[in-house]
Amino acid sequence: MTVYESDLPGVGKKYEIELEDGERLVVVTHNTGKREVFLKPEADADSDKLFELSDRLARTVGTILEGAYFQPVETERVETLLTEGTYIEWYSVASDGELAGQTIGDARIREETGVSIIAIQRDDEVITPPTPETRIEVGDTLVVVGSREDCKEFEKRLGSSDEQ
Amino acid sequence: MATETALVDVGVLFGAVALAGLVANRIDQSVIPFYILVGMGLGPHVLGRLDFPALLGTDAVPHGSSLALAETDFVALGAELGIVFLLLFLGLEFNVDRLLAARDRIGRAGVVDLVVNFGVGLVVGYALFRAFLPAFLVAGVVYISSSAIITKSLIDLGWIANDEANPMLGTLVFEDLVIAVYLSIAAALVLGGGSVGEAARSIGLAMAFLLGLSLLVYFGTALFQRSLDTDSNEFVVLRAVGITALIAGGALALGVSEAVAAFFVGMAFSSTDHVHELERLLEPVRDTFAAVFFFWIGLVTDPTLFAGVASLVAIAALVTTPTKLASGYLGGRIYDLDARRSTRVALGMVTRGEFSLIIASIALTGAGEGLPEDVANTIYAFAVGYVLVMSILGTSLMQYSSPIESRVVPWLESDGTV
Repeated sequence: MTVYESDLPGVGKKYEIELEDGERLVVVTHNTGKREVFLKPEADADSDKLFELSDRLARTVGTILEGAYFQPVETERVETLLTEGTYIEWYSVASDGELAGQTIGDARIREETGVSIIAIQRDDEVITPPTPETRIEVGDTLVVVGSREDCKEFEKRLGSSDEQ
Repeated sequence: MATETALVDVGVLFGAVALAGLVANRIDQSVIPFYILVGMGLGPHVLGRLDFPALLGTDAVPHGSSLALAETDFVALGAELGIVFLLLFLGLEFNVDRLLAARDRIGRAGVVDLVVNFGVGLVVGYALFRAFLPAFLVAGVVYISSSAIITKSLIDLGWIANDEANPMLGTLVFEDLVIAVYLSIAAALVLGGGSVGEAARSIGLAMAFLLGLSLLVYFGTALFQRSLDTDSNEFVVLRAVGITALIAGGALALGVSEAVAAFFVGMAFSSTDHVHELERLLEPVRDTFAAVFFFWIGLVTDPTLFAGVASLVAIAALVTTPTKLASGYLGGRIYDLDARRSTRVALGMVTRGEFSLIIASIALTGAGEGLPEDVANTIYAFAVGYVLVMSILGTSLMQYSSPIESRVVPWLESDGTV
């Protein structure tokens, strides 16, 4: 597959994408953000306009084509209320956190923050329940139970990029 | 004109322009000739000479010159802003890196276009006026194709996605660069009072100013970048308009073309991250004032002068349509296009528009200074008539390209030019 890119001074940019059996898809991105999509039956044929999209719509459609649109909505953190005042939270372990590489026992998590780690998801495997000897690794997702304050305290020890 | 009528005059202006745009759109024509015609119709030369109450049999309607729109300060200044924004956009689009990347083909197609059309313009102009400066102005008028009309037609016809768009837009960019230099020289010559020394002095001043601006553009990217760093659309528009109007106005105060100064400001903005944002936000501002410019062109044009220049316009149209067709066809060939697509490039480049009118307005400012008054008026009327003819002819040629192609292309191919 080849994509030809060319400048259209005063208009924007043109992308020509070779499809199978010699057809070409032409996308004209206007400086205003508008996208026009054309189809050419062959390289030197005239183009037929298929449709046009606004900037925002084009991005949405593009994401759907990319197959990425229906991934979970990203929130700052996943938070579930177990009972009044008790939360189950999911944290991922970043490389710069102080916990990475320590065992749960050595990190004295329960003693210092008050939360319990009830499960660790590591790749496809779920370690539940983890023991004091279980080592926390970079990339782990920790499932934690505790009060809101305790969870915040725990979050601090995870390091900067602790959101999932 | 009296202040109490000013707002309603502005209302009539924009209302008439909006209506003209609607009509032009309905019949698939470019808006520019319609803006000019409506300006002419409402101006002192047409409406001002008609005695409406006499036609209606009543005195209740004001008549003659009191009904017609006059060239008020607002219109003149709005037209000037129109020129400034047209050229600002040219600068915004004009990216040195992109031009250099395609310099080989753009350069060859552009030089062919320049030599053929400007050259023919000089010859025609000299034959008609027997003097260098009028010939130089006529050459500019017939050389420069209309970026605005051609680009819009390209998009409307869907040619923008085809291969013919590249040589057309490339040649337009080349022309735009030439016209920036040309305008500064023309303005200096026209305002130079006619004497060689005076002209040399004003060209020197213009060049020095442009050199200063180029240095500012070259070294001042960070400055321009910072000047537009804000989240507010309002501030971006105000700052961009403020900087542009200030520099263009300053240039004019020094006797340098405001249009060229605006072009350089556009170039400075084009190297910042804000270029697309500016294009999006300033486009309506440009279109508003450009409409005032075309309206003003009509307003100050006396259509009875067309009778005097009709033969000039006819000669110029007859000579310069084939030359544009030829240079356009060659341009397409330089881009390795086949006969059919090269024919389209040829048909597409015929349209003349806004820049020819800017040259006309320069000629008008020189009336009685660098140019004898009657010559200036003749060139002005010629340019307006020529643009009216060529903009309608050019857009029509593009619209009816397929019947033309089907006749011309077999002939071109059999002629061994393939």
